[in-house]
Amino acid sequence: MPKSQIVEPTKERQAGSIPFAEVPLNQYQNDLAKEKETYGDDALIGIYEDMLLIREFESMLQSIKTQGSYEGIEYDHKGPAHLSIGQEASAVGQAFLLDVDDHILGSHRSHGEILAKGMSAIRKLDDDSLLTIMKEFLDGDCFRVVEKEGGSDDVKGLARDFLLYGALAEIFGRENGFNRGLGGSMHAFFPPFGILPNNAIVGGSADIATGAALFKKVNRKNGLVISNIGDASMGCGPTWEAMNFASMRQFHELWDESMRGGLPIIFNFMNNFYGMGGQTAGETMAFDYLARVGAGVNPDSMHAERVDGYNPLAVADAIRRKRDLIEKGEGPILLETITYRYSGHSPSDASSYRIKEEIEAWQSFDPINAYAKELTDAGLLNDDAINSRKTDIVSAMTKAFRLASDLEVSPRLPSEKIAGLMFSSRKRETYDPNREPELLLSHDENPRVQALAKKSRAGIIDGKPVSKNKVFQYRDAIFEAALHRFETDPTMVAYGEENRDWGGAFACYRGLTESLPYHRLFNSPISEAAIVGTACGYALEGGRALVELMYCDFMGRAGDEIFNQLAKWQSMSACILEMPVTLRVSVGSKYGAQHSQDWCALVNHIPGLKVVFPSTPYDAKGMLNTALAGSDPVIFFESQRLYDIGELFEKEVPAEYYEVPFGPPAQRRVGKDVTIITVGATMYRALEAADILEQKYGITCDVFDCRSISPLDYDPLVTSVRKTGKVLLSSDACERGSVLHDIASKISQLAFDDLDAPPVVVGSRNWITPCAEVESDFFPQPAWMIDAIHDRIMPLAGHQLSTNPTTGELLKRQREGV
Amino acid sequence: MKYDFAVIGAGPAGYIAAKKAASAGKKVLLVEKSKLGGVCLNEGCVPSKTLLQAAKTYHHAKHGSIFGVNAEGVTFDYPKAHEHKNNVMNKMRDGIAGLMKKYKVDVIEGEAKLLPNSQVEINGETHEATDILLCTGSSPAIPPIPGVDLDHVVDSTGILERESLPNHLVVVGGGVIGCEFACMHASVGVPVTVLEAMPEICPNLDAEVSAGLREGLTKKGVTIKLGAKVESISEDKVTYSDESGSNELEADLVLVATGRRPNTKNLGLEELGLDIDNRGGVRVDARGATNIPGLWAAGDVTGQAWLAHAASRMAEVVVNNITGRKDHMRYDSMPAVVYTSPEVAVVGLTKEEAEERGIKVKVGRIPMAINARYIAENPDETGFCKVVLEADTRKLLGVHMVGGACSEMIFGATAMLETELREEEIEEIVFPHPTTSEIIKDVFMAVR
Repeated sequence: MPKSQIVEPTKERQAGSIPFAEVPLNQYQNDLAKEKETYGDDALIGIYEDMLLIREFESMLQSIKTQGSYEGIEYDHKGPAHLSIGQEASAVGQAFLLDVDDHILGSHRSHGEILAKGMSAIRKLDDDSLLTIMKEFLDGDCFRVVEKEGGSDDVKGLARDFLLYGALAEIFGRENGFNRGLGGSMHAFFPPFGILPNNAIVGGSADIATGAALFKKVNRKNGLVISNIGDASMGCGPTWEAMNFASMRQFHELWDESMRGGLPIIFNFMNNFYGMGGQTAGETMAFDYLARVGAGVNPDSMHAERVDGYNPLAVADAIRRKRDLIEKGEGPILLETITYRYSGHSPSDASSYRIKEEIEAWQSFDPINAYAKELTDAGLLNDDAINSRKTDIVSAMTKAFRLASDLEVSPRLPSEKIAGLMFSSRKRETYDPNREPELLLSHDENPRVQALAKKSRAGIIDGKPVSKNKVFQYRDAIFEAALHRFETDPTMVAYGEENRDWGGAFACYRGLTESLPYHRLFNSPISEAAIVGTACGYALEGGRALVELMYCDFMGRAGDEIFNQLAKWQSMSACILEMPVTLRVSVGSKYGAQHSQDWCALVNHIPGLKVVFPSTPYDAKGMLNTALAGSDPVIFFESQRLYDIGELFEKEVPAEYYEVPFGPPAQRRVGKDVTIITVGATMYRALEAADILEQKYGITCDVFDCRSISPLDYDPLVTSVRKTGKVLLSSDACERGSVLHDIASKISQLAFDDLDAPPVVVGSRNWITPCAEVESDFFPQPAWMIDAIHDRIMPLAGHQLSTNPTTGELLKRQREGV
Repeated sequence: MKYDFAVIGAGPAGYIAAKKAASAGKKVLLVEKSKLGGVCLNEGCVPSKTLLQAAKTYHHAKHGSIFGVNAEGVTFDYPKAHEHKNNVMNKMRDGIAGLMKKYKVDVIEGEAKLLPNSQVEINGETHEATDILLCTGSSPAIPPIPGVDLDHVVDSTGILERESLPNHLVVVGGGVIGCEFACMHASVGVPVTVLEAMPEICPNLDAEVSAGLREGLTKKGVTIKLGAKVESISEDKVTYSDESGSNELEADLVLVATGRRPNTKNLGLEELGLDIDNRGGVRVDARGATNIPGLWAAGDVTGQAWLAHAASRMAEVVVNNITGRKDHMRYDSMPAVVYTSPEVAVVGLTKEEAEERGIKVKVGRIPMAINARYIAENPDETGFCKVVLEADTRKLLGVHMVGGACSEMIFGATAMLETELREEEIEEIVFPHPTTSEIIKDVFMAVR
């Protein structure tokens, strides 16, 4: 909502038409003599060698998958192998000119890209750097195997062995693999060579790569990012969101002069014409030429073009030209690299959706044979040279295979160790200690800081609540924690739908705009997948992101990014990567079915996420501080019922920095008869219930606020239940599948002998949320809790039910699914 | 009026509950839309047993020669039997009314409608009760057979109202009710055919018991057609199909006895959100609690057991729970009887039911004919006693009997099951000699 740009009705209503830039198709002109002159003979021969290496690597895997052996060594590989035989030129041509600082992210079919980029990096790095990388990576575990085996005379030869062994051991799920065997075939990667995660979700790399490019731009880093995704990913919403995000006009119009221009990213679509068994152009997609889509995204048509991926030099030429554009700030780029896989989607695919003649036609243009012929014709290669290279590659491959398949040499990671790799659990005050954070105002100059200085940090003074306009509120706590980290960590960025100027829909960020340049706090498109996906990419590149989805309900739009990306990459990298992303979501009310849901249970279910839901200003600040000083992904739940409340439990919300650790629940009330456990804003209604129980029935309650859902320290809860023998759990989430059932079940296991009655969960009804006027029929109320205690836990003398908490009704509702 | 306890329906669940709750000091309302005593007293157990006794007496008179008793000119005066039946019913109804008066139960005649917040509307007046027991019973379930609406087609209620015997009776449905009426009519010389769609009569009983009953009824002169599906009924014929194809039977009276359905209509139950199963029964837990707070149900309206004594027990369980005594239903020791000649009396699990629960069992079976008292009194009848034990613990799981008046001794087996006795403990029980009941002790000899 930049006030500097007026949306002018006269201009917007003007008649006219939109011209589109032309989208070139396969325009590269073969001129080997010129390429020789530019790159030299060795480099051109290197392209051939690398293509050969990939072909042999993939052929080896095909042989293992289909025949159970390679070069006489038997092996049963149970995992996947999405092979790219036929696609070698597209990978090698792309990697040819990339620097180590240029980062690629790929797909499930990225073995070739890993090897191509790896070999490219090996050629570009000096021996010392290579040795350092190899020796330091995973404490040298991978390198030691290769070094001990020997057989390569030089460091670059050793590095090639290292690359082959590390990748193959990863594919075979071995501890010495590049990712300790936790990534496997579809996710293997190696950051020191500029190979970032490959992704088994189609199009998954589009928004992650965009985030990586955002990191490079915001933190003024060298290099570009390439998202290698398939033609089918053009049918995925997040891919579109990513292309739009990378092309936002604010990069050109609103960001600092020094930051102007779109993101340094190439969306490279490896178009092999099939997405699984669906033919893209012609069957499942609207486009004829994939590159056409660029015209729909920005005025430059994303500089889109189709390049012939069967000619490595055509691809290299395109990368060179596109890099120039990116360096001029004209990114992002859309590249369609056409290619073709000879084998099926995977070994189980019999290619029943295409005819043999089509495969043969492409094989007649085989990129390796064609390129070899070209080099032979030009005198750079001859049959002997070709044969000796093939022999050398088979030998290297056999060695890598022998080492990677041998359980003695390459053991598997003991499964129990995975638990220790689910979170990186590091304390990170800053992700770049060498830089000062870019700020527009000093802390004390910030207008909100000044305003807050006049507020009461205590919510209760002399036993009376402080009025809302005088009290330091929950939203102020969020502001303070965010500002602190902005002022501490130069890499920290925050974005979401209306974070700048407006200050967030719930005014948590009001005042941040004044302190922060655009590139640290900006409004994103309403693209939840891209918001979370880019944050993942930003973090994987080494920065901290605080992103916001406004309503919890909108997590549905970012399902893959939260469940499969944010949650998984630390552990799939054996914690080589960190994921310092805090995702703020707010549980709504009054706005009906699509704006009022508490989805703690969804994210709690997914391994790899930390989930917290503070319900007081003190906890909101302390827990956001903890989240923003950690290295793990945190889903940070807030509630719209809470933004204006003051602190009622702690003496006050300290102005200084402090952290509230994740894990322990907060005890809000001490009693002896019943334990009440709540999540989120329901805590305040549980306290009302506890008051009534005490005043009317003489029952006193322990009330716990489960502010940290995962991790959760059960000890205080179990100790309480051992004392009371009775437990009621309540939150605003729908009852069925609520996280409370998870907690209740564990309490049953931990304190079964002490329970006088089964734990009872009082959640919202398993309905849509009705309109604001009748919300009290939907969200748990104090009376519901008291009724449930009376009917299911302990009869309360003289109590009259006003709801239906019976087990018969529970059965009926579950049977009906409501 | 405000009550502690309102009971809807004055059958064997309702009046028992009303009396028990009132005796525990509750202020009780009993609502009945028709007659005190419910189906059991007015349309079921009591009148049918009265008529069965009449038929049995006639049969004994006609067939006493084996005992050396010869009677000439024995006739069956059906109107007289009816009069006796009605006298019995009136006496029992008066008894219930007296009981209610004694315990100060308010009895209102009228149709009840349940309203929210523990309220009941009767005859336009609204009453309130802390707890309400729904025990509205069941009605015959009539299948949609063409001709089922004809005047000579009756259900179990209708057949009891008839004052003359038919020339040819066809009974559609070989369940307990069908078998009892078939036996009664056959005993007084009416040609009877039972058409049962399933491969066996009373298919819920132990298979050998069902077969034994079938043999006993056949001996009494009842014709039984199994796997017979009734296609239509006309003025004088019943058409059915079985393995042999389509067949016709003459019939001037057709009894449709194909089961019962719970009475849940016009009571305001749906509006209340009461949980009703797909066969129409009100769902209750083992205490008789429905899903509505303070609303309980007992008897046939729950669609469980379909037995008067089960209904009474359910009612007791409910009253115990509302008066502070924990209690729950135990259907595994619920006896069931078929009052035919011979009688069938069973309690507990059959071998097959036990095995379905994963219990390893041992079974023993001896013929009734080894029992001196039995052969002395029932020279023409066969019959047997069968016992099911848990294999490893030798705990009694079930007793299944056919023959004589075994209904009078099944309570003994019920007590054993209810107290979870094992074989060795049962062996210690002394049975009087000579009694037919000794068969329950002797059957253990045959367990293997």
